[in-house]
Amino acid sequence: MSGRALVISIIVVAVLAAVPPFLNGYARSLLYITVLYVALAYAWNVISGYAGYLSFGQVTFFGLGAYTTAIAVIRAHLPWWEGALLGGLVSAALAVPLGYLMLRLRGAFFALGMLGMAQTLQVVANSWQLTGGGSGLFLPPGSNALPVYYWTLVIGLLGFATTLFIDRSAFGLRLQALREDEQVASTLGVHVTTTKVWAFVISAIMPGLLGGGYAWYLTYVEPVSAFATRIDLQAVAMTILGGIGTLWGPLIGGVLMSQVSEILAAQYPQAYLMIFGGLVVVLLVLLPRGIAPAISAALERRRARAAQVQR
Amino acid sequence: MHAALFGQLTIDGLLVGGVYALSALGLNVIFGVMRIVNLAHGEFVIGAALLAAVLFERLHASVLVVLPLAFVLAFGLGALIQRAFLRRLPTDLASAEATSLLMTFGLSYFFVGAWLAFFSGNFRSVPYLTGAWTLGPFSIAQARLLAFVASGIVAALLAMLLRYTALGRAIRATSQNLQGALACGVDVERVRTLSFALGTAIAAASGCLLILIFTVNPETGANVTLASFAVIALGGLGNYAGTLVGAAVIGLAISFTGYFATAQVAQAAPYVLFILVLLLRPAGLLGKSGA
Repeated sequence: MSGRALVISIIVVAVLAAVPPFLNGYARSLLYITVLYVALAYAWNVISGYAGYLSFGQVTFFGLGAYTTAIAVIRAHLPWWEGALLGGLVSAALAVPLGYLMLRLRGAFFALGMLGMAQTLQVVANSWQLTGGGSGLFLPPGSNALPVYYWTLVIGLLGFATTLFIDRSAFGLRLQALREDEQVASTLGVHVTTTKVWAFVISAIMPGLLGGGYAWYLTYVEPVSAFATRIDLQAVAMTILGGIGTLWGPLIGGVLMSQVSEILAAQYPQAYLMIFGGLVVVLLVLLPRGIAPAISAALERRRARAAQVQR
Repeated sequence: MHAALFGQLTIDGLLVGGVYALSALGLNVIFGVMRIVNLAHGEFVIGAALLAAVLFERLHASVLVVLPLAFVLAFGLGALIQRAFLRRLPTDLASAEATSLLMTFGLSYFFVGAWLAFFSGNFRSVPYLTGAWTLGPFSIAQARLLAFVASGIVAALLAMLLRYTALGRAIRATSQNLQGALACGVDVERVRTLSFALGTAIAAASGCLLILIFTVNPETGANVTLASFAVIALGGLGNYAGTLVGAAVIGLAISFTGYFATAQVAQAAPYVLFILVLLLRPAGLLGKSGA
């Protein structure tokens, strides 16, 4: 990041941190949803954008985090954020063996494998007594919006920082190498399995932590919304719009789309699905690399022109 | 377990398996020619199923009348989707498979939304041929038997098309060897369009028969995609005979878990089976590498 980008980022973060207490409930919830989806998109982008393993079921970990938090609060009387941390831990703990197993599968097998994982956990949550079955679990009511917002903002920032690290580090290079060709990467000395599993764990911890906050925000958890695969659809659409496998992509796409989503999802679910599904289809034809690379190309051109003028 | 109960569940499972076999054949035709796993497959199945249910409710139209209509409509829709979108997927990106998966993922949700708008979110079924024949200790539901037989007829027609017509030969040639097909003058673009259209149409046909057995709403498409994909993963991608074996296994899994657990758990059964098989035998039950 250049000096100017760093300054802009610090200002944006400062505004995001300072403004919410002064907003009304509706604006605050819009902001929360935006930050939440940007963070989810960052999580998805690690395994699917950088490592190239398309997962259509990262919501598995979101739901797991939500349920872990609810159970921790209700049964063990833990404070919610300890429950949410536990949710992140449980997600990571599941992601290690699951990663070793699932990442042996490629392409459609992995994508559908993860989609099915989310569906299966939904069935489990629906039929298990501990998770309250179909009616779910209710948490003590209260005004939880502000703490959850800050929690989500911090995780979003961590997601950005992690992606910045991946974008600039040898680890990120290894991920991108195995995305292009696993055999070649392995020949060049990349520990393919370990690298993939790390990426998968990163992509699992974040939704786990975010889901924990979401449960506390809503004050209830139930199977259909906790494991809703449309959450993945939205993260996918946003990331493609912004630029898949790029540092700024999830942020740009997330900010552009989440306002639309929040208004539509509640009132017109059918239009919501058609817009996000259709967006993915049309973007892949018209703008497959997304907005972020187009912006950086334009900046690059301007810089080149400026250099020429000076000379 | 009583032998009679075991036999009954086996019969029910195999009859359901027939419908899944047909749906999976559609998926397999598309995969064979285009190397695309169509994640919107289940939505085409469910769209036709809901159409059949609505036409039965309103006009008392038999599914056997709706089936050819749905077949033709879906054929046109499939051709349109291939021409307008899938054909224009970027070819310069790292992985063609990844972009096609993303696109059919987007398509699947687009159609979930579209069906919700057209048909509402209500669960629907077709109470057609609700009787059963008794055969010794077993009872055979007429609707299930009809679905099984009709699936078999459509599958047989597909097999004849693939075996005896010029289009069928072109489809098989393109599946086996793209370069070879091109060298022999096969219009591969056209074969791709017709294959996607055909696969979509077969999905619609299986949907009209599935509705005889199950109750569905627009959001159950993902389950059908998973079950159909499980069938071809068990049988090996691109392996038509394996598809039949895979379908029998999935049908039995659904039937037995549906009885001993709940219908909802039964929906997850094909998936669990599919993961187990992929992990233990990544090439599918009958060989031929897929994963």
